[in-house]
Amino acid sequence: MQRFTGTRVTRVEDPRILTGGGNYIDDRNPPGLGHAAFVRSPFAHARVHSIDTTAARAHPGVIAVFTGAELGPHIAPIVTQGPPGMSCPRFTCLATDKVRMVGDPVALVIAESRAVAEDACELVEVEYEELAGIGSIERALAPDGPRIWDDLDSNVLYEEAATYGDPDAAFAAAAHTINETFVQHRITNCPMETRGVIATYEPGRNHFTYMGTLQGTQMARFVISTALSLPATNVDVVLGDVGGSFGQKSSIGHEELAVCGAAKALAGRPIKWIEDRTENLSVGGQAREETVTAQVAFDADGRIRGLRLDMVLAGGAYPIASAPITTLVGTLARVLVPGAYDIADYSFRHRAVFTNKAPYVAYRGPWAIETWVRERVLDRIARELGLDPVEVRRRNLLAADAFPCKLPAGPTLAGITLRAALDKAERVADWAGFRAEQASERARRAVAQPGQPGQPGRVLGLGVVSFIEPAPGPPDYGPSIGFTLPPERATARLEVDGTLSVYTSQAPHGQGHETTLAQLAADELGVSMSAVRVIHSDSRTAPFSMMGTGGSRSATVASGSVIGVARAVRDQVAEIVAHMLEANPTDIEVVDGVARVKGSPDKAMPLAQVAMTAWLAPQYLPPGRNPGIEATFDFRAGDGGWTQSVHSCFVEVDPETGVVKVLRYVVVEDCGDVINPAIVEGQIRGGIAQGIGEVLYEHSAYDDDGTFKAGTFMDYLIPSSMEIPSIEIHHVDATVVTQEVNFRGVGEGGAIGAPAAVCSAVEDALSPWNAKVVEQYLPPSRVLELMGVIPVER
Amino acid sequence: MLSCADDNCKRLRRRGVRELSCRAQLRRACKAAAMKPPPFAYDAPETIDEALGLLDEHGDEAKVLAGGQSLIPLLSMRLARPARLVDIARIAELGQIFLNGSTRIGATVRQCAVERSAELRTANPLLGKAIPFIGHGPIRNRGTIGGSVAHADPAAELPAVMLLLEAEMVLRSASGGERTVPAAEFFEGFLTTAAQPQELLVELRLPAWLPGTGAGFQEIARRHGDFAIVGAGAVVQLDPGTGLVTDSRLAFTGVAGTPVRATEAERMLVGHEPTIAAIAEMAAVARAGLEPSGDVHASAAYRRHIAGVLTERVVKEAVDAAR
Ligand SMILES: Cc1cc2nc3c(=O)[nH]c(=O)nc-3n(C[C@H](O)[C@H](O)[C@H](O)COP(=O)(O)OP(=O)(O)OC[C@H]3O[C@@H](n4cnc5c(N)ncnc54)[C@H](O)[C@@H]3O)c2cc1C
Repeated sequence: MQRFTGTRVTRVEDPRILTGGGNYIDDRNPPGLGHAAFVRSPFAHARVHSIDTTAARAHPGVIAVFTGAELGPHIAPIVTQGPPGMSCPRFTCLATDKVRMVGDPVALVIAESRAVAEDACELVEVEYEELAGIGSIERALAPDGPRIWDDLDSNVLYEEAATYGDPDAAFAAAAHTINETFVQHRITNCPMETRGVIATYEPGRNHFTYMGTLQGTQMARFVISTALSLPATNVDVVLGDVGGSFGQKSSIGHEELAVCGAAKALAGRPIKWIEDRTENLSVGGQAREETVTAQVAFDADGRIRGLRLDMVLAGGAYPIASAPITTLVGTLARVLVPGAYDIADYSFRHRAVFTNKAPYVAYRGPWAIETWVRERVLDRIARELGLDPVEVRRRNLLAADAFPCKLPAGPTLAGITLRAALDKAERVADWAGFRAEQASERARRAVAQPGQPGQPGRVLGLGVVSFIEPAPGPPDYGPSIGFTLPPERATARLEVDGTLSVYTSQAPHGQGHETTLAQLAADELGVSMSAVRVIHSDSRTAPFSMMGTGGSRSATVASGSVIGVARAVRDQVAEIVAHMLEANPTDIEVVDGVARVKGSPDKAMPLAQVAMTAWLAPQYLPPGRNPGIEATFDFRAGDGGWTQSVHSCFVEVDPETGVVKVLRYVVVEDCGDVINPAIVEGQIRGGIAQGIGEVLYEHSAYDDDGTFKAGTFMDYLIPSSMEIPSIEIHHVDATVVTQEVNFRGVGEGGAIGAPAAVCSAVEDALSPWNAKVVEQYLPPSRVLELMGVIPVER
Repeated sequence: MLSCADDNCKRLRRRGVRELSCRAQLRRACKAAAMKPPPFAYDAPETIDEALGLLDEHGDEAKVLAGGQSLIPLLSMRLARPARLVDIARIAELGQIFLNGSTRIGATVRQCAVERSAELRTANPLLGKAIPFIGHGPIRNRGTIGGSVAHADPAAELPAVMLLLEAEMVLRSASGGERTVPAAEFFEGFLTTAAQPQELLVELRLPAWLPGTGAGFQEIARRHGDFAIVGAGAVVQLDPGTGLVTDSRLAFTGVAGTPVRATEAERMLVGHEPTIAAIAEMAAVARAGLEPSGDVHASAAYRRHIAGVLTERVVKEAVDAAR
C-alpha cells in the first residue's frame, strides 16, 4: 500500500485556505458582536495627566469606552514572571500613569462597528507631558538617564553571567586576540494575519471563551483566568486557522487582555479586536535587538581558544505576559553559542534592559544572535590569518568521532553530521567555481579605469556558515536552559465509521500539521490520509501542554506522539479482530483500511466494521473489554535532536549604488528523515527569506529618543518574491541516534543561518575595500558607507 | 487630529489644505487605530461640468478620487479626511488620448494604458521608460496619469517626467474656466501643486517628441516596485550631423520636496560631444546642486551620491537612444 510519510503530499489545509474557506478570527462574526479599537500614545515616554472620554462616549454607535482606571475592576494588572533576579514590574493593560512606548494603549473603545470605534477613538482627548525617551541600549544603561519604571532603580531588567572552562587561561595562551562589538537591529515578525481576538463572557455559567490567534491554548488559559480572576477551567481558548506568527503570538499581548477585560465588563457581548498593520508593526512585538561585545582568543592555525561574550538585549518597555523571553534568549545564546565547534572555554554575560520600544517577543530562532556572532568571528579569524573561511570552520568543528559529547553548558551533542554537510555543500554549491569567477572579476576590476560607468569586474561574494539548532534538542537540553517540558501527549479515537480522529496539543499556524500528522497516522494505522482527521487548537479537546507549537519541536515530539497513539489504536484493532476472526493478534495487519489475517486475505474486516462493532456491539468484543477504541500516548524524545545546516550564500554588490543582490542560495542540511519534503523545504525557504530580509530590508527603526519610524509597509520593508532567489535545498543522509522517531524540526534554522550567511557574503564581496561587517543591517547606504564611498550619517 | 511637524505639512495647513497628508506623517505611529476611513459623502459624476459643480460647491471639503492608489490608503489611515469624495472615474471625457504630433492625455487615463500602448511609447519614449517604475502592475492598472501628477509626490516618476517634457497641465474650474500651467510652475512643494481645490486637472499636454532625441530613466529603490530612493530621467537631443548635444535635460525624484530639474548641469552638455568624461562632469555638478534629506531608507549623502550615479546612467542611456 502507498506510504504517505516521506512524500510530497499536497497540504490538507490548502484547498480550504486558498479558496477563502479558512476560519480566521476576522471571518467570525457572532451575533451581538462589539468592535474594539485603541487610543494610543504618540509619544515614546510621557506622563498621562488626564484622559477625557466624554465626547467618545456620546458618539452614536459607541457601546463603551474604557480607560486603564475603568478597566481596573475587571482585569488584574499584568504580572510577568521570570527567573530569580528578573525585575518584574506590574502594569495594567491600558497605561494609566505613564506611557512607555509609541503606540502604548491608553483607552479602549467598543462600538457597533470598527469604523465607529475608530471615529470615537479620535474624540478621546489625552493630556500628556512628554518625558525623555530611551531608544538605544546606550541610553538605557546611562547612569543618569531617564528611568522607564519609576519603582525600579535601573533600566536593567535582568543580568546573568556564566563561565565555562577557563577562558582566562585560554586567552593567556592564545597567539591572537580580537575585540569587536556586533550589533543586531530590531525587526518584527510580520505574520500575514495580525493579532486578533473575539472574547466572550457568559455570566450565567461564569464562563469565558477566547477565540484568538496564538501558538497554543493552555498557557493563554492561565494568563486569562488569572487576569480575570476566573478558574482556569472556566476559560476556553479556541483558535481557528492562524495566519502565521513566527513567535509573535507565543504570548497574549496587552490589547488582547484589555479586550478580555472589556468583554467581562460587558458580560454577554462578544468583543472583537483585529489589529491593523500599523499597530502590528509598531506594538505587535519586535525582536532581535541585541549587541554583543566579543573578545576572541585564537591560535595561529585559526582555532578558537576562548571567548568572552557580553550581550545586551534591548527588551522594550514591557515584558510580555507569559514567558520571560528577554532572559531566555540570553540563556539560549549562552548555551548554544559553541554550536558544533570545539569551544570549551568561554564566558557569557547577558543583560536585558528596558527601552521605550515595543515589547520584545520571540522570533523564529530567538537565540540566532549566537550563530551570527560566532560565524562573524570565524570569518574575522580567517581574514586576520589569511585563511579560507571554510577551512577555519573545518579546523574548529568537533571531530567526527567526538560524538556523543556535551556542550560546555550541558546538552549532549550526538549525531552531528556537519562535516559531511560541508563536504556536500562544497560539491553542490561549487564554491571553487565561484571563487575562480570571483577572482577573475576582481582582476578585471583591478585593471579597469576606476570611476567609469559600467566599469568591468563584478563585485561578488560568498558566505558559508554552519550551525546546529535544537529541534527539539536532546533530553538534557531542557534542564540546561531551565525549561523542561513534559512528554508530548496525543490522543486518538477510532470513530464509529472507522476513521481516525487524532488530537494533538500542537497549535499550527502555517506548519501544516493537519497534513504531516495525518501522513504519519495513516501509515501507522494502515489507512488512507482521508481517513484521518487531525484536531488541534482547542483547549477543550487538546491534550494538555503549556507549549503548543514552537521551538521546532513538533517534527519530533508531535510526530512521535501521533505515531505512538496510532500504533496503540492499531493494536486495539488487532486485538478485537483477532478475537472475532479467531486469529492471533500478532497475525493481524491493517492494509488500506482493512484489517486482515496475514496470509489469509479472505479473513478480513474493514475498519468501519471493526469500529462499529467496538462501539455498538460490545458483545462481540473480547470478554471484559470496554467498548470503543481510544488511546493515549506520551512521547519522550531520545538523544540527538539537532538539525544541522550549512548555508552558502552568493551575492553581487553594485559598487556604485550599494545594492546587494542575492544570486544563489544553497542549503545542505540534516533534519533526519523527512515527513513531507515540500513542507520541509517550504519551512527552510521561508526562514531564509526572513533572514535575507532581516539583513537587507527589514528594520523596526526608532530614533534615539524612542520615536518610532517604521509603522507602515512603506518604511518596514519585507522582501518579496523579486528579492529572494530560488533556494536550493539538499539533504545529507540522516544519522539515526537513539530516536525511534528520526524526524527533526526545520522551523527556525532558515532564519538562524541566513543573516550570518548574507553578512558573510557581503563582507567577502567587500573585502577589496577592507570593509568589516559588524552591524547586521546592510541597506544600500550602509554598504556604500562600509566601502568608504559616502560618509557615515546617522 | 493627527498633526505633523513636517515643514511642508505646516505650509499645507497654512494654505488651508485640510489634513492633507505626507509620508512623514504616515511615519508617525498611529495615535489611534486606523484602518477604516472617517465618514465621507460620495459622488460619482458622469460629466466634467457636474464634477466641477461639486468641487465649486464644496471647495476644500471635497477631494477628487481618481485611481485611489494614493488617496484610499490615506483615507484608511485617517491621514486625509475629506468630507466628500468626487469620483471622476466615470467621466468618459477624461479618459481619452489624442496623438497628433503633440500628445494629450486625459487625466483618468490609467498608467497601464500608457504602458501598454506601443503608439504612445513611440510618441513619447520617456513616458514609456518611466511608467514601468511606478509601483507594481496592479497599482498601474488602477492608478491614473492625472492622479499621480495631481498628487505630486516628489518620489513619484510622472511629476519628474512632466518637468522633463516641459508638459502643460490643463486645469478647469466652474468659476475660472480653463487655464494651463507649465510643469515648471505646477509642482510647488511636497504634495502641493498650483491646482486650487475647486480645480480639476483634466488633461496633460506633452509637446511633440523631436527627431534625434533620446530618453533615459532609471532609479534605485530598496525593493522592486517601491517608491524610489532617488530616480533620474534625462532627455538628450543630438545634432544628426555633428553629434553634438543640442538639448539636454535632467531631472530627479526623491531629492527634495518637488521633483527637480538640474538646470546648471543640463547646460554643461549643450554644444558638446556627450563623452563619458563630459557626462561624469555633469553628474558631479548635478550632485553638488542637491540638498536631499535622509530618512529610514537612505542618508542624505547616499541620495546625493546616487543622483550622480544615476545621472551618468540615464544621460548615457538617453545619448545611446538619441543616436
Ligand atoms: C504600493 C504602492 C506603490 C506605489 N508605488 C509608486 C511608485 O513607485 N511611483 C509612483 O509614482 N506612484 C506609486 N504609487 C502611487 C500610484 O502611482 C498612484 O496611482 C498615484 O500616485 C495616484 O494616482 P491615482 O489615480 O491612484 O490617484 P488618487 O489616489 O485617486 O488621488 C491622488 C490625489 O490626487 C488628487 N487627484 C487625482 N486626480 C485628480 C484630478 N484629475 N484633478 C485634481 N486632483 C486629482 C486626489 O484628490 C488625491 O489627492 C504607489 C501606490 C501604492 C499603493
